[in-house]
Amino acid sequence: MAHNFKSDIAVDWCPGCGDFGILTSITQALSELNLDPKDVIATSGIGCSGKTPHYLNIAGVHTLHGRSIPFATGIKLSNPNLKVIVPGGDGDMLGIGAGHFVAEGRRNSGLTIMIFDNEVYGLTKGQAAPTMALGERTKSLARPNVFAKVNPITLALTAGYSFVARGFSFDMKQLKEIIKTAILHEGSSVIDILQPCPTYNNINTMEWYRQRVYKLDEDKSWDPIITPGNEGQAAEKFQRAYERGSEWGDRIPTGIFYDNRTIPSFHKRLNEFVPNYYSNPPATQVVIGSDGYTPIDVEATFPEKIIH
Amino acid sequence: MDLSLTIGGPQGGGIDTSSNMINRAFAEAGYNVFGVREYHSNIKGRHSYNHLRVKEVRPRSLKYPVDILVALDPDTIFEHLEDIGEGTKIIYDKSFETSDLAQARLIMRDTARRIKDTLDSASVPNTIKGALELARKKGGIPMAIPFSEVVTAAISEGPASRYFNTLGSAITLSIAGLEQKFAEEAIKQVFSSKPKAVEDNVKVVAAAYVYAKENGFAGKNLKVLPKIKRLLLTGNDGAAMGKLMGGLRFQTYYPITPASDESSIMEEHEHLKYVKAEQNKLREGGVVVVQTEDEISAVTMAQGAALTGSRSSTATSGPGFSLMAEGISFAGMDEVPIVITLYQRGGPSTGLPTRNGQSDLLFAMNTGHGEFPRMVISSGDVEECIYDSMNALNYAHRYQLPVIHLIDKNLANTTDLVPDIDLKKVKVNQAVRPTTTRLSFKRYNLDTENGISEMGYFGNDVFWMTGDEHDEIGHVTEDPLVRDMQMRKRFRKLETALNEIPREEMVLLLGEKNADVTFVTWGSQKGPILDVIDDLKEEGIKANLLYIKMFEPFPEDFVKQVLGKAKLIINVESNMLGQAARIVKLNTGIAIQNNILKYNGRHMTEDEILKAAKEIISGKGKNLIEVLENGA
Repeated sequence: MAHNFKSDIAVDWCPGCGDFGILTSITQALSELNLDPKDVIATSGIGCSGKTPHYLNIAGVHTLHGRSIPFATGIKLSNPNLKVIVPGGDGDMLGIGAGHFVAEGRRNSGLTIMIFDNEVYGLTKGQAAPTMALGERTKSLARPNVFAKVNPITLALTAGYSFVARGFSFDMKQLKEIIKTAILHEGSSVIDILQPCPTYNNINTMEWYRQRVYKLDEDKSWDPIITPGNEGQAAEKFQRAYERGSEWGDRIPTGIFYDNRTIPSFHKRLNEFVPNYYSNPPATQVVIGSDGYTPIDVEATFPEKIIH
Repeated sequence: MDLSLTIGGPQGGGIDTSSNMINRAFAEAGYNVFGVREYHSNIKGRHSYNHLRVKEVRPRSLKYPVDILVALDPDTIFEHLEDIGEGTKIIYDKSFETSDLAQARLIMRDTARRIKDTLDSASVPNTIKGALELARKKGGIPMAIPFSEVVTAAISEGPASRYFNTLGSAITLSIAGLEQKFAEEAIKQVFSSKPKAVEDNVKVVAAAYVYAKENGFAGKNLKVLPKIKRLLLTGNDGAAMGKLMGGLRFQTYYPITPASDESSIMEEHEHLKYVKAEQNKLREGGVVVVQTEDEISAVTMAQGAALTGSRSSTATSGPGFSLMAEGISFAGMDEVPIVITLYQRGGPSTGLPTRNGQSDLLFAMNTGHGEFPRMVISSGDVEECIYDSMNALNYAHRYQLPVIHLIDKNLANTTDLVPDIDLKKVKVNQAVRPTTTRLSFKRYNLDTENGISEMGYFGNDVFWMTGDEHDEIGHVTEDPLVRDMQMRKRFRKLETALNEIPREEMVLLLGEKNADVTFVTWGSQKGPILDVIDDLKEEGIKANLLYIKMFEPFPEDFVKQVLGKAKLIINVESNMLGQAARIVKLNTGIAIQNNILKYNGRHMTEDEILKAAKEIISGKGKNLIEVLENGA
């Protein structure tokens, strides 16, 4: 029987929360990719989005606030054969964890990062998140937001992510397909997911987004993919992705902005130096000899330390 | 023979190469060398030095005054006036004689003022000539050598100054009476990958030996001892090796002194070679070393790796360890086996970034919010760094918790000649992975007497983890009963550890069982105190050492038993608060009254501990706390 990727834990998100659509899109994507549940791990941070791993019937870590990326990277690099998905909030990824978010773009470890973007810190009663625009005042704010917003798409692009996309939690068909493509992408991917918070964000509501979102691939000539042999297209496609990624307001683009398959993943880079990295990774290496002691020949490994 | 020497010069001026050469040359002749490296937080120019001791038996401490001071720049003479005593030979370039203190711009201003006071009160000019005059008054023997002339006679091309370190070292070896061939052999080893450098430096060595002989500096021939194979290792080396031997295959780090050398050494040795017996049985593998964006990432990434079954760790120093606090709390809550090697330097804050300290013990005991079990262990010499690193990984995996392994900067930068590494000393406790997938696996199974639940592996088992309190399969719970049960289960592991771990891995009583004086210490003071115990014995005072290696769980019974009947207890630590003594008091109720403490960032030397101990023993100590001040 096919594995049910939905766990039996009761979901405690607010009625009408955009997170439900994301959860369904993830479970459908995992099912359609026909992945073995033991080969996919979910790591999250803190907040409403942080609960996602518990709702998925795959191994999951609900880590610390902002630290889902390094946890995920450790899992992926210790066993590069696993798929690691990283659901997290906008505060998680772009506030407290922004340093890790940028560093992961440079690494390109092969994580599927999903930003649950609702512009507020919901679980702590609706404070402004890093994606909220300057001067915006949602109902729980004492005064208009005094911070300017960070743009997840252009930040991901400049950080070096090799796959950058945006989905809308109320368009599960599109979101599911984006997630599938991202999971199959060898390097790290970022999906900015527009996800209305019905309790604390009375401005960026489902209706508000519905009126504005459009799909990049409505334009038949839109082609964000760079394949090996076509590295020369990267600069121009990056430029176009950046331009479209900067668009926000009356029209908000969704879909895949950038999909560069020529940037070597971090595990590929490590594989240049670490023997048998893919077939005998740290996670599954036998580190003892048949007698239970270390098999390492210290003198052969560290010959320069010996004084004969 | 018991030869103490200091070789100093500008940071980046080849001081390490010099020490390496001196170490290897003496080792070639069968001698043992022990040394410590001191340096500023600076890339080039500021004063750096190596303090070494050469003996037939293995030295385990350093002492002042030194027998030979090699000055590769004028600053070294100014900085080390305090290290000069009766008979100290001072080797320096004749051209330094025209320097004065005012020109020594890279001596820290406060230090320069202090040097000025010293020179003024000795009524000598504030110049190298004045300093040498003072040195002579103290019994020192200045030996001016025309560095440039000697080098250019041997090598015509390139700047002569490039070879000053080799020249200074070779003159030192000649004064010590070591045959020239050993110095040449050392050069071959130090520059093994650069044939041209070997050729040139060997010429400089020859010139140095000729010069020393012609000018009557050469010492009388030192007897050659039978040579045995040894490994020239630092504490950083020992920890890196021990971790790899202990099965470490995933290491994270963010660059910080004095921890990052450990990780760099691993990066240089990613490809692990197996012993013959295992070569055909085990698949070749390597260690993954990741330089992270910060220490928060280092401690959490190592945990991610551990969840898949890797034996993983990170290494840091005080400032980075502070950033790891929340991550360590997670490891405690979620029972993640990781090792954090904490290289202590002088704090607080950035403190003394390149200097010694033992001020992070209490912090290591309490890092992170909430109550969770952890283990805190400490090493005191290079060999302990090796085997304790193996044990640390074993503990982490057996008890599924964070293990904090303390190594002080002094030990990290100690060089020692280790005769042998015993591959069969510590068994590695890698568990066999399950072969089937276990869905909804009870990772936090409460049905356990010793508190240890069966390990689960990502990539194999499906279960959950959360920093929140959790049920047996790892889902969030706020149920009061499950909370109590999980808390008790986690802490039961520490009782199990205390029962299972051999006492010798936790605490040792070194020296005679019955003694008049019982020292208490941890970390790198072990060696000097053992030497002090020998010194006291010669004076008819029986002393021993209660040497603590594990602070959590704490071997309370043994410590209580030893200290309960000790006649005079002297606690020795490199910090201001006597942190280990506080832990002893907390666990045993025994308050140690006499303390020898040092927090100026420099290594403790045999002579100063001896002096302070005698003050305390004779009852003449001004205070119950003797604060040591040696070191440039």
